[in-house]
Amino acid sequence: MNGKAGWLLSTIFVIGFVLAGCGGSNGNEGGASGGSSDAAPSASESGTEGSSGSPSSDDHAPVTLKYTFWGSPNEKKIQENAIKGFMKKYPWITVNTQHIPDDYVTKLTTMAAGNQLPDVGLLQGDQTLKWAEEGRIYNLMDFLNDDPDIQLSDILENTQYWWADGKLAGINGALEAMAIFYNKDVFQQLNVPLPPTKAEEAYNWDDFVKTAQQLTIDQKGRNALDPDFDPKQIKQYGVMLPTGLYMTAVYANGGQLVNEDGTKFMLAEPPAAEAIQRWADLINKYHVAPSPAQQKNIPGGATGLQTKKVAMTIDGQWSLADLGVSKMNFGIGVLPKMQKEVTMTLGDPIVIFQGTKHPKEAWELVKWMMNPDSTLELQSSGLWMPVLKKWYQEPDLVAKWAEGNSAHPEGYEDAVMNNAFENGMQQPIYYVRDLPDLNAIIDPALDNVWSGKTSAQEALDGIKAKAQAALKGVYTKPQ
Amino acid sequence: MRENGSDRRAKPGKKWRRARKEALFGFLFASPVILGYLIFVFGPLAFSLGISFTDYNILSKMSFVGLANYRSLFDGTNPFFYKSLLVTSYYVVLSVPLQVVFAFAVALLLNRSIRGKAVFRTIFFLPTMVPVVASSVIWLWLFNPDLGLLNQVLKFLHLPQSQWIFSERMAVPSLVLMSLWTVGGTMVIFLAGLQGIPKHLYEAVDVDGGTARHKLFRITVPMMTPTLFFNTVMGFIGSFQVFGQAYIMTGGGPNNATLFYSFFTYREAFESMRMGSASAISWILFVIILLLTLLIFKSSSLWVYYESEGKA
Repeated sequence: MNGKAGWLLSTIFVIGFVLAGCGGSNGNEGGASGGSSDAAPSASESGTEGSSGSPSSDDHAPVTLKYTFWGSPNEKKIQENAIKGFMKKYPWITVNTQHIPDDYVTKLTTMAAGNQLPDVGLLQGDQTLKWAEEGRIYNLMDFLNDDPDIQLSDILENTQYWWADGKLAGINGALEAMAIFYNKDVFQQLNVPLPPTKAEEAYNWDDFVKTAQQLTIDQKGRNALDPDFDPKQIKQYGVMLPTGLYMTAVYANGGQLVNEDGTKFMLAEPPAAEAIQRWADLINKYHVAPSPAQQKNIPGGATGLQTKKVAMTIDGQWSLADLGVSKMNFGIGVLPKMQKEVTMTLGDPIVIFQGTKHPKEAWELVKWMMNPDSTLELQSSGLWMPVLKKWYQEPDLVAKWAEGNSAHPEGYEDAVMNNAFENGMQQPIYYVRDLPDLNAIIDPALDNVWSGKTSAQEALDGIKAKAQAALKGVYTKPQ
Repeated sequence: MRENGSDRRAKPGKKWRRARKEALFGFLFASPVILGYLIFVFGPLAFSLGISFTDYNILSKMSFVGLANYRSLFDGTNPFFYKSLLVTSYYVVLSVPLQVVFAFAVALLLNRSIRGKAVFRTIFFLPTMVPVVASSVIWLWLFNPDLGLLNQVLKFLHLPQSQWIFSERMAVPSLVLMSLWTVGGTMVIFLAGLQGIPKHLYEAVDVDGGTARHKLFRITVPMMTPTLFFNTVMGFIGSFQVFGQAYIMTGGGPNNATLFYSFFTYREAFESMRMGSASAISWILFVIILLLTLLIFKSSSLWVYYESEGKA
């Protein structure tokens, strides 16, 4: 019996190995050998094939696309509505949406390993250019060059992800920009003048600090300028800082993360380090902003303002979506000025993945998502800003999204829209290579700056050599 | 074999066929598990060992790079490898003894015949049922420097307060403290072990006029060494793989103070997209855990007592 059992066992093992081997080698082929990788997607998309088998009465054979994205429940609803509109206009195209709220890159990486990538989708900015270089994303210039409806010059430069000259990996779903958001009632109660909305009139740094001090109140009602002010018992903070987006301050002080060709680490240079120190001083010296640890018990964004835990926030314009539905009397201001009046712009691109069988239809979908006429709810709710220039320049188009709704109060056009349009600077993910590796070095050092343990200069000098060694250059943009 | 032989002598052909048939069915019934192991565990395991010698990043074609992944870890090219080893070792050294001692102490208390014993047992086991995510969020509140319960209690007692997980120095000890909350599983194993100790041994101590202390150190602890051994090994393996707390509560911070090994692996794989390097990191952990476990096993002959074998 033992002999036979061993024989059986080994047979099953061999079968198992063969099966496991097949699984393994399929995975290999997906990443490695180009020849057989063609087989995998056709097998995996056989469902698609089946549905497109029978030609419709139109000139067009039916096409199915998969679109992946992330976002809040509200954002999900609006994007799905936009896509329903697309399917109405192009009845032969079916778009299956897949909402991936968390760990988006992990999920997409897994899909890539299994040759199951969507046709079109949002992609996190810090991954986009790497994916493009590895040949996983279409060059949008291939479509733009032949498209009579749209020119490259119609699209905001700050929303474009270039991985080499002439190679456009993606265009943001939306432009986003940093600004000040505040609760008007708090300012009026304390008799503090409202923040300026025009870039030319922006606070200088000292005025901003003073304003924040007037707005920071301890449990006994004293503000931060009072000599008896108790920084351990703060009831209302003057300002909430997005410490993760410290580049907002660095740009405003004329600093940079890396130099133009990405060969030199610039964050330890005086303008950058000074800007970071100024933000850290708001937390540890003036006690007008909560530290990252304290931020954990203060609700962010709209709720923080509404509950008067904070009087102002420096935040992205996407927070308008929450502010707009909060029924709060809120206002918008331009960022304080250090050396330059600039704002940092952000946003993640919508890309077309290599492997799609229907690149033309995928491009139509990308264009659809770029056009505020088809996604107006996303823009008018305050979540997105358009990526097409004319929606900033032509007053009747501007009126469609940035006026007459609760998410865009008076002053918005100056403080956010025009400022982003004229003074926007792209955050580093648009051009720095292997940024996640660099951030893995910088962020821990800055932990100690925000907690007040070390000065910014000291912390950044401490990692300068390591960061310099991690630099891989920048992606070149077209001139 | 011997039984089989006698069977065969009795009724050779038929029995033999039946036994073979039974074996076939046995393996058929077991095959989902065996195949599942091969396909979902052994296959990926072998694959990850393979890609640890490549520069696989999922997106591009992989090419063989020999030991380069391992070299860049050991020669310090990757700035986080030694830091994460250090942080994880600190956590293991601190947490395993504390967890074992704490669970053992609780099990001893819960083994006494007191009223409401079942209720207490449930209460101490309950946190183990809470998912890591939920307990992490609860502890985030407890650790909160301004409003957290822990600091409120310290303040009430006029003791110095702590920044807990937000301080570089206190982050790991804080997470160790938190891990003591979920020792329910370990405790239940201890409890089962305690109930397996024959009553007559304790009676013998009573007869000889021994005290509770004698009972504990002469009877309970020696009789529990196999259980202690098992829980220590499991504790080591579990603690080396600690991940959720870093992922949910600290993000590896402040200043990499909680950059646990598994979290570092995750970051290498899914943020830096270096699957080859991440696989190498995982295999190094496997070897570390294997060696440590072997070491504990070797040492067990010195302190673990198995009743059936006598002290080795």
